[in-house]
Amino acid sequence: MATIASSYNPREIDNTVDIPGRRSPLITGNQTYASVTDIVCRVAEDAQPRLWWVLFGFSSVTATMFLSLIAFLIYKGVGIWGNMNPVFWAWPIVNFVFWVGIGHAGTLISAILFLFRQNWRTSINRAAEAMTIFAVVCAGIYPGIHVGRAWLAFWLLPYPSLNLWMWPQFRSPLLWDVFAVGTYASTSLVFWYMGMIPDLATYRDRSKSPIRRMIYGLLCLGWSGSSRHWLVYEKAYTLLAALATPLVLSVHTVVSFDFAVSQLPGWHTTIFPPYFVAGAIFSGFAMVVTLLVPMRSIYKLENLITLRHLDNMNKIILATGSLVGLAYGTEFFMAWYSQNQYESFTFINRAFGPYWWAYWIMVSCNVISPQLFWFKWMRTNVVAMWVVSIFVNIGMWFERFVITVTSLSRDFLPSSWGYFNPTMFDGLMFFGSFGVFMTLFLLFCRYLPTIAISEVKGVIASSAHSEHLQAELLGHGHSHASGHHHATSHDAVH
Amino acid sequence: MSEPKPRKSQEPKAPRSFGWMAEFADEHALLDAARKVRDSGYSRTDAFTPFPVHGIDEALGIKPTILPFIVLCAGLTGLSTALLMQWWMNGIDYPYIISGKPFGITPASIPVSFELTILFSAFTSVLGMIFLNGLPRFSNPVFTNPRFDRATNDRFFLYVDARDRYYNRDSVHELLHSSRPESLDEVLEDTTPAQLPRPILLAALLLVLTGLIPAMIVLNMRAGFSDLPRWHVFFDMDFQPKKKPQQTTTIFADGRSMRPQVEGTIARGQLTEQDPFYLGWDPDKLTMTESNSVRFVTAQDPVEPPVKEEPAQTEAAQEPVKEEGKQETGEKENATPETAAVVEAAGQSTPVATPVTPATPEVAAQVPAVVPPSAPMDGAAAPAAAALNLPWLAELPIEATEEHIQLGKTKFEIYCSACHGYAGFGDGLVSKRAASLLQDTWTPPTSLHIDRVQKQPVGQIFHTITKGQGKMASYASSLTPKERWAVVLYVKALQRSRNATIEDVPADQRDRLTKAK
Repeated sequence: MATIASSYNPREIDNTVDIPGRRSPLITGNQTYASVTDIVCRVAEDAQPRLWWVLFGFSSVTATMFLSLIAFLIYKGVGIWGNMNPVFWAWPIVNFVFWVGIGHAGTLISAILFLFRQNWRTSINRAAEAMTIFAVVCAGIYPGIHVGRAWLAFWLLPYPSLNLWMWPQFRSPLLWDVFAVGTYASTSLVFWYMGMIPDLATYRDRSKSPIRRMIYGLLCLGWSGSSRHWLVYEKAYTLLAALATPLVLSVHTVVSFDFAVSQLPGWHTTIFPPYFVAGAIFSGFAMVVTLLVPMRSIYKLENLITLRHLDNMNKIILATGSLVGLAYGTEFFMAWYSQNQYESFTFINRAFGPYWWAYWIMVSCNVISPQLFWFKWMRTNVVAMWVVSIFVNIGMWFERFVITVTSLSRDFLPSSWGYFNPTMFDGLMFFGSFGVFMTLFLLFCRYLPTIAISEVKGVIASSAHSEHLQAELLGHGHSHASGHHHATSHDAVH
Repeated sequence: MSEPKPRKSQEPKAPRSFGWMAEFADEHALLDAARKVRDSGYSRTDAFTPFPVHGIDEALGIKPTILPFIVLCAGLTGLSTALLMQWWMNGIDYPYIISGKPFGITPASIPVSFELTILFSAFTSVLGMIFLNGLPRFSNPVFTNPRFDRATNDRFFLYVDARDRYYNRDSVHELLHSSRPESLDEVLEDTTPAQLPRPILLAALLLVLTGLIPAMIVLNMRAGFSDLPRWHVFFDMDFQPKKKPQQTTTIFADGRSMRPQVEGTIARGQLTEQDPFYLGWDPDKLTMTESNSVRFVTAQDPVEPPVKEEPAQTEAAQEPVKEEGKQETGEKENATPETAAVVEAAGQSTPVATPVTPATPEVAAQVPAVVPPSAPMDGAAAPAAAALNLPWLAELPIEATEEHIQLGKTKFEIYCSACHGYAGFGDGLVSKRAASLLQDTWTPPTSLHIDRVQKQPVGQIFHTITKGQGKMASYASSLTPKERWAVVLYVKALQRSRNATIEDVPADQRDRLTKAK
């Protein structure tokens, strides 16, 4: 058995390049099964670093402020927001779409990259899925409190009501949204939980205190690692991935229907579903980078979340950012090509009207800043990529702002034009939703497995296996990168 | 890795054995040993690994799972649930009428159907995995060996169950030992107490009892009765800063929240309220009438309230009134066959003139005094009607010119002839059709040539057109006052023409008429 992982040294091995004839390792530091377990479990077992307490203190205060503001909103009414004729869909819907969009990366990484057999996903999928759940929690709050009488928000569901005597309108995109976001939230939650069961068992088996052992034992449902269980588990995981893949694409499609099915210029376009999905993946990956770059350094996870992982994510940010840029261009093209005066006006108004500043923030953050990722030194520089990811987060919020507010503020009738002014509560509540998000994420790091331990081990096993085959073919002994020697002959394996 | 500590002392009176468990350092050693075990004929075997080892199913002979078929069934269930739900809820039980779009399943049903298919399948995948694996299972004999903690870390265990058909304690031990495992232990029964610790039980009980409190409160409120006002958790706009009619206020000295008209102002529509041209009767002469049936008449809204006065089918019961305005006589002998039938049908009804006796001037101001409070709107069974007695105009307020007669004729033929007939005998097409269908709810229109109508002053006919009568609706919204007067003029001309003698014809025209005969 190899020893515990050596400390991380980025110069030691550059796994962002693939030398022909030699496969770059996905994880660095000559990891063994035990060392991977150790690295991940230490995050929750060791005392948290001081920075964790600072961040947790700050974000839990912010989250408390958010919850208090929701209570005030329910008491006072939605009039405390700046929503006013003609912009009735203002920040609450912008924030909803923003958070739902961010929530797309997790399931995309878990499901779509799983189906495409992108093994590098194993180091980042757990944190990304957790981020997805927490982002959807933040997203779900907004429509719930935007309905006005929040205590009747359950009227959105088709239930046999004795007071209402009616059913929801199933031809409304807003109801599709209830089903899409509800299905996405619950499916992501069970996907996340099911992926954690084996790792929770690892946490259980390493627990020293009986209470901790009991809690993790309950959470992992008494998982024993039986191969008969693993077989059903893997089948279920594959099925979930296959089911979640179209689901991811459908959620933001349905969210875009909220806009596209209406008649408003700037909303009523068929490009919205693909455009929204690309934007959602874009913003989701940016948020993953924003979270993982500090996380891997705080918890010393650099050997598992390597530069190669970040490099791959930055490539996806570059690709989806360019897709979003293409969508912006296509909208302008269609505004001209359709020869529809309202459509043309809307887009000229977006870029040069009263909200020009929002539009150009959006374009510079979403289209220009990711272009820096054409350069490899940008893709592999953690500070640079973190800054770009922040820009993308800002830009994607402004994208939703531009779509929602510019179209509503100036529609067909100049007499009903207006200019949207947010109130203090709009700003504080948006800020507060970050508090909820960060609080949940910090608690996740503190108590739950942040990296899919069993999946990373599976990748070690398969790469060691392929290296071994390669070495045998070349007539060499075991490659030095192979983390563990094989005690017995295994010719019969092949 | 901490050194595993034995949790139990290895006593000679060892608990029941469940089989042998061999520990290996990597998956290849495990696979080799597994193959050996399978080749030796053992089938009740299992391996415990920190990650899914590929090839183990073949090495141990594990059958594929039926989970995909269960998930397929769940997906189809989700799909049909969604389609049935949308079809029944939006098409059958509560059809939404939107721009004439079809009910039930439409392309708009796709998103929800898709989402429910995914939702059912995804939950079935997870729950099916948990169920097929027999989870949750918190008490498992394999957990009794502390070395087994590494099964979720870096060690690979092979297990042969004692319940296997060919199980022999010594030969299995020998077989596993030949694979050179890191350790080889017997899986022993868990002898630790099976009950939950008492504090946990108490805490759980307390939690359940606490959770029942809100449910009990709700149940009590749903099932019981209370004299107290509703408990407003959420106000739901129940309290609004506004005043409803009849509520008091402290803002004004008189305490009334509804304000009287400001003096010296004229409300919209008020100018026509006192004008005989718009009423058909003269309010100034009202005090001169001595009828008991009219105490106080005012027209708050000269158009809207349905004034129900002497429906045609109850005329037999009306008391004769001496004034020129109101002539209620027994019409049985004069009635046309249709009206006679109706009069017979309605004969048993007790005619009661029930004028409103206003308690206060304010109340009276809002209720037209001539309307009995319970005046039924259905004509045929109307039991009572107020005797209307007003100072009707006897003279037309418009001139009897050719132009006005033509205007009246045009409007009469558009609006009136459908029921009353072109000549006014109550034999319009609608009436004939209703009679041919034996429509028992149909009230035949009055002939305009019966004695009662003949004797009506022009103001009363105008009033009938304006307010409607019996089943006849008001035509005030269709005809301007001038047009209504023109129709009255035309009706008078029709009546005159149907009850004329040769003396009515100018002398120089009589010859032409007799010649034509």
